[in-house]
Amino acid sequence: MSTKRMLAAASLLVAVAMISTGCGGSSSGSSSTSSGPTEVKIGIGAPLTAGATALGQGMVRGAELAIEQANASSTVTAAGLKFTPVSGDDQGDPKTGVTVANTFASDPALVGVMGHLNSGVSIPASKVYADKKIVMISPASTNPALTQQGLSNVFRVCTTDAVQGPAAADFATKLLGFKSVYVVDDSTPYGEGLAKAFADQFTANGGKVVGTAKTSDKDSDFNALVTKMKSTNPDFIYYGGVYNAGALLAKQAKDGGIKGPLMGGDGLYDPQFIALAGAAEAEGDFATSVGLPIDKLPAGQDFLTAYNKKYPGQAPAAYDAYSYDAANVIIAAVVEAAKSVGADKVVSPAGRDEIIKDVAATNMVGVTGPIAFDKNGDTTNKAITLYTVSGGKWITKALPQ
Amino acid sequence: MQLANLILAQLINGITLGSLYALIALGYTLVYGILLMINFAHSELFMSGAFVGLGVMTLLTSSSIAQKFPVLAPAQAFFTGSNVGVFFMLMIVFLVSMLVVGIMGVIIERFAYRPLRHAPRLAPLISAVGVSLFLQNAVLLWVSAQQIPFPNPIGNGIAFTIGTVDVSVLKVIIFVTAIVLLVALDTFISHSRFGKAMRATSQDREAAGLMGIDINFSIMLAFFIGPALGAVAGIFNGMYYGSIVFNMGFLPGLKAFTAAVLGGIGNLRGAMLGGFVLGIAESLASGFISTGYKDVIAFAILILVLIFRPGGLLGESVVEKV
Amino acid sequence: MAESKAKTNTKAGTGRVTPIKIALYTLLALALIITPLIFEGYGWLFVPHIMALIGLYVMLALGLNIVVGFAGLLDLGYVAFYAIGAYAGVIVGAWAFKGAPALGPYIYFLMIPVAAAAAALTGLALGTPVLRLRGDYLAIVTLGFGEIVRIVITNNAFGITNGAAGLPAAGQFIPKPFGLDWLINNVYFNIPALGKNFIFTIDGNVYWYYMIVLLCLLTIFVVRRLDQSRLGRSWAAMREDEVAASSVGVSITAAKLWAFSLGALWGGIAGLTFANFQQFVSPESFTFMESVFIVCTIVIGGMGSIPGAIVGAIIIQGIPAFIQGMAAAGKIPGVDPSTATVIANYRFLVFGLFVVIMMAWRPQGLIPSKRRAAELKPDTAEMGDEESETLYDAQHDSGQF
Repeated sequence: MSTKRMLAAASLLVAVAMISTGCGGSSSGSSSTSSGPTEVKIGIGAPLTAGATALGQGMVRGAELAIEQANASSTVTAAGLKFTPVSGDDQGDPKTGVTVANTFASDPALVGVMGHLNSGVSIPASKVYADKKIVMISPASTNPALTQQGLSNVFRVCTTDAVQGPAAADFATKLLGFKSVYVVDDSTPYGEGLAKAFADQFTANGGKVVGTAKTSDKDSDFNALVTKMKSTNPDFIYYGGVYNAGALLAKQAKDGGIKGPLMGGDGLYDPQFIALAGAAEAEGDFATSVGLPIDKLPAGQDFLTAYNKKYPGQAPAAYDAYSYDAANVIIAAVVEAAKSVGADKVVSPAGRDEIIKDVAATNMVGVTGPIAFDKNGDTTNKAITLYTVSGGKWITKALPQ
Repeated sequence: MQLANLILAQLINGITLGSLYALIALGYTLVYGILLMINFAHSELFMSGAFVGLGVMTLLTSSSIAQKFPVLAPAQAFFTGSNVGVFFMLMIVFLVSMLVVGIMGVIIERFAYRPLRHAPRLAPLISAVGVSLFLQNAVLLWVSAQQIPFPNPIGNGIAFTIGTVDVSVLKVIIFVTAIVLLVALDTFISHSRFGKAMRATSQDREAAGLMGIDINFSIMLAFFIGPALGAVAGIFNGMYYGSIVFNMGFLPGLKAFTAAVLGGIGNLRGAMLGGFVLGIAESLASGFISTGYKDVIAFAILILVLIFRPGGLLGESVVEKV
Repeated sequence: MAESKAKTNTKAGTGRVTPIKIALYTLLALALIITPLIFEGYGWLFVPHIMALIGLYVMLALGLNIVVGFAGLLDLGYVAFYAIGAYAGVIVGAWAFKGAPALGPYIYFLMIPVAAAAAALTGLALGTPVLRLRGDYLAIVTLGFGEIVRIVITNNAFGITNGAAGLPAAGQFIPKPFGLDWLINNVYFNIPALGKNFIFTIDGNVYWYYMIVLLCLLTIFVVRRLDQSRLGRSWAAMREDEVAASSVGVSITAAKLWAFSLGALWGGIAGLTFANFQQFVSPESFTFMESVFIVCTIVIGGMGSIPGAIVGAIIIQGIPAFIQGMAAAGKIPGVDPSTATVIANYRFLVFGLFVVIMMAWRPQGLIPSKRRAAELKPDTAEMGDEESETLYDAQHDSGQF
C-alpha cells in the first residue's frame, strides 16, 4: 500500500543523494584560524543535581581550580593554549551519563574528561569517549571493571576496590587490633566491590566477619539493622558506600548502643559525613583514602592555600584533590601534545592520539602523591592512608604501610 | 532470652517506623477516600514538612540568628533553656509546619487537581507526578541539593527498658503522638460536622452537594489534614534519622502508599493498621531475614494480601456496579 | 459508546491515499532517515543519541499502551519487563556466545526472541494472580512487582546478575551486531556540498538509531493490527465496561492475559536494545520513576494513540535532554556552557509545571486516538464522571471513612 511505496521512494531519494554527493577524503576537525590561543575544553562529568552531589560539586571545584591555575601559568600561555571547563551533570545515572558523554563528544574542542564519580556511569561513558579519542580520567570510580575493558583512553587517579579494601583490612587487624566485623554495603557498584574486597582480606588476616548486610544508598532507616548488628557484638562495622547513607548508619549505630566505630572507604572521607552523623556520633570513626594526606605533601599545602582562596569557607570534599590532579594530568598532556603537533592541531584526531599517549606516559607529582599509570590505566600510587574523626574533623591516623 | 529480646527490639523499631508510615498513609487514604485519586505529591508534602520544620526550628534556636537580631535572643534562650522551653519550641515547630504544609496541600488541590475533577482518572495522577517533581526540584534549587543535618532537641534519653531493650524517649513520643493524632482524626471524621460532611462527600459527591454540603470545602479539608499529618511525620523523620534531603519523600511515600493499600485504601483505620503492619514487617524482615530483601518482603506481603483479600485488610469488598 | 470500527487510530488509516499524503509521508520518512546524519555530520553527536533514546521510549510507550491504553489496566511497574528483557538477553547472549563464538555478529538479533519471550512469560506470570484486581489495586501490585524485580537483580539473584555492579561486559560478551564495526570503521568521508566541516560518519548512535527506528516501525505495525483485531475490540469492550463485555462473550481472563504478555513483550525487546545500545546494564536504570515516566509519556501524548506515544516520548525524553545537551555543548549562541548546569537544574522544575498545566489544559493528551478522545472528552461533566470510572475502576461507592 502507501507505506510500501513511500518507503521505496524515500530510500531511492536517499541513495541518489548519497551517490551524487560523492566521497571525499577524511577531513580534520575544526581548527581555529584566529591568532589568539587555541581553546581546549575539558569536560567535568559529575553528579550535580542528584546522587552524591557534595562529592560531585567538589569534583567541579577541584578541576576548575586546576584549570584556572593552568590558564594563569606561563607554560600554558607559551604553548598557545587556553583551557575552558565544561561541567556535565550525570546525576549518578548511567543513561544520563551516556547522554552527557555524547554531549561532550559533540564539542570538537573538547579533548579530555575529568570524571565520572560513579563506576556505573564511568563504564558506559568511557566507551563513548573511546570512539571519539577523548581521554578520560576518573578521580573516583573504583570498580576494577572500568580499566579492564581494554580501552586505551581510560585512566583513573584513585585506586581500585581491590587495593583499598585489603589495605583497610590490614589497618583494622594489624594496627587497630580488631577481630570481628559486621560488613554492610550500599548496593552500589562502589560499595559492593569495596565491602567484598575488605571482607576477603579481613578473613584472610584471621579476622571474623560476624555478619553481612546489603542496604540501599537511599535508605534512611537502619534501626532494624543496628539492632541485629548489636546482637552479634562486632568490634567494628565496615561500611562500603558513600557518606549520605553512611553517616546515617554511623549515627544510628551509636545512638542504638553499638560501641565499636564505623570504618569505610574514600566515599566516607568527606566533611559532610561528620556534619550529618554529628560530631559526637562520628567521633572515632575511620575512613581510608588513596594517597598521602594532602597536608603532608608540599604540593598539598599549596593546593589547600589556593583552594581556600578560591572557595573561602569551603572544606575540600573527598575527591576535590583527585579531581585537581586528574585535571592537571590532562592539562599537562595537552601542553605536551601541543609541543609535538602544534597548538592548533591538539583538537585534531592526531592531537587526541598524542594526548592519550602523553597521559599514559604521565610521571608527575600531584597533590595526592606521585602519579603514573600502569598498562590498564590504573594509578601506580597504591598508598592508602587511614583517617579518623577527632573533635569534629578528619585527622590522619596512620600513613601508608 | 536473647531471641525474645531481639524480637522485642525489632518490634519496637517496627512500631516506630510504622507510626511514621501510618501518619503519611493517612494523607493518601483521606484524599483517595474523597476523590478516588492517588495523590503522588503527598510524599513531597511530607518532605516539605521536614524542611519547614527545620527552618522554624533554626529560627527559634539558632544562636547566630539571635546574635544578628537581638530581639529574638530572649525567646531563643527560653526555647533552648529548659525542657519546658523545648516543649514549646517543638509545639511551635510542629504547628507552623502543619499549617504551612496544609496550606500547600490546599493550594495544590486548587490549582493542580480541581480543574481535573471531571477529567479521566489518570489525569490527576499524572498531574500529581508533575507537582511532585516541581516540589522536589524547588527544594533542591532553593534550599540545598545536599543532605542537611536535622537537630534532635529531645535527645537520645532512654524512657524505659524492657528486658535488655532500651526504648528511647523519642520513640515513645513518636508512637504516642501518632496514636493521639490518629484517634483525634478518627473522632473528627466520625463525629464532627465537618467530618460528616467529608464522609458524605466521599460517598456521593453529587448528592452531598444537593444536600447543601459544600463539597469544595470538604475536599479542601482533606487536602489540609492529610499534608498536615504528613508534616508531623516529616519532622519526626528528621529528628529520628538525623538528616533530611530534598528527595527523602520518595521511599517513605511509596511505603506509606503501599501501607494505605494494604489496609484498604480509603479506609482511615486501615491506613493506620497498614502502616504498622508494614513497619513491623520491614523491621522483622531486615532483622531476621535480609536487609537487602526487606522491601521485597514488604511488597510480597502486599501482593499476597491483595490476591487473597483484594480490598486490603480492612477494605470492604469491591462491589461491582452494573 | 458506539463501536467506531471504521475510525482507526492513525491518520494513515483514514480515508483514501491522496498524493498530498504520500508526499507528506515521504518527507517524514526522509526526515527520519537524514536528520541524524546531518547532526552527526556536523558533530552534534548527542542528537542522534537522544533520537535513539526517544525511539526506545516510543517502543516502551507503545508496549505499555497495549496494557494501559487498549486494555485499560494501569501498570506502574512496566520497567520490570524492560529490565527482564535486558538481563535475559545479555545473560543468555553471553552464554550462547561462549558456546558458539561464530554467532557473534548475529547474537543481538538471536536474542530478540529470547528477551521478548522472557518478558512476555513474566507478564503472564504477573497477570495470572492479579486477574481479580482492578484499578488502583492493580497499579500498586504492579508497582510492587517492578520494585521486587529491581531489588532481586540488585541482590545478585541466582548469582547471575552480578548485583549492583551490573553487567559491564554487556557490550563485550555480545559483539556489535552485524556490520556495525564495518560501518564505524569505513563510512567516514566529507561532503563538500554541505560545507567543509561536514563529515559523513556512522557511529554507534546512528547505527542504533536506525535499528531502533526499524523496531519502532515494527511495533507500530503490530500495535495497529492488534488494535483493529478481534482481540483489540475485546480490549476496548473490556476497558469500557468489563461486565457488559463479559456478558456478550468476551473472555476477560484471556483478554487481560494477552494484554499483559503482549505489552511486556515490547518492553523486553526495548530492554535488550537498550542494553546493547548502552553497552552496559545495571539495576539503577530500572527504577520506579522510569515506570512513571513511561506512563507520563502515553498520558501526555494521548492514550491509545500511536502518534501520541511518539510526541510524548519527544516531549519527555527528547526536549529536556536536547536543551541540556545544546547548552553543555556550547551550541546555544550567547549561553555559556557552564550555565548548562543551571538549565539542568531547572529542567525538572519546568517539566513538573508543564505536566500540571498540560493536564489542566488537555487531560486527554496531545493527540488522543479518536475513539479514546470520545471516551475521555464527554459532552457533559456528569457523563465524564460516569465514564471516567470505567477507565480504570476500583469503585468505592460505599463511603469508607
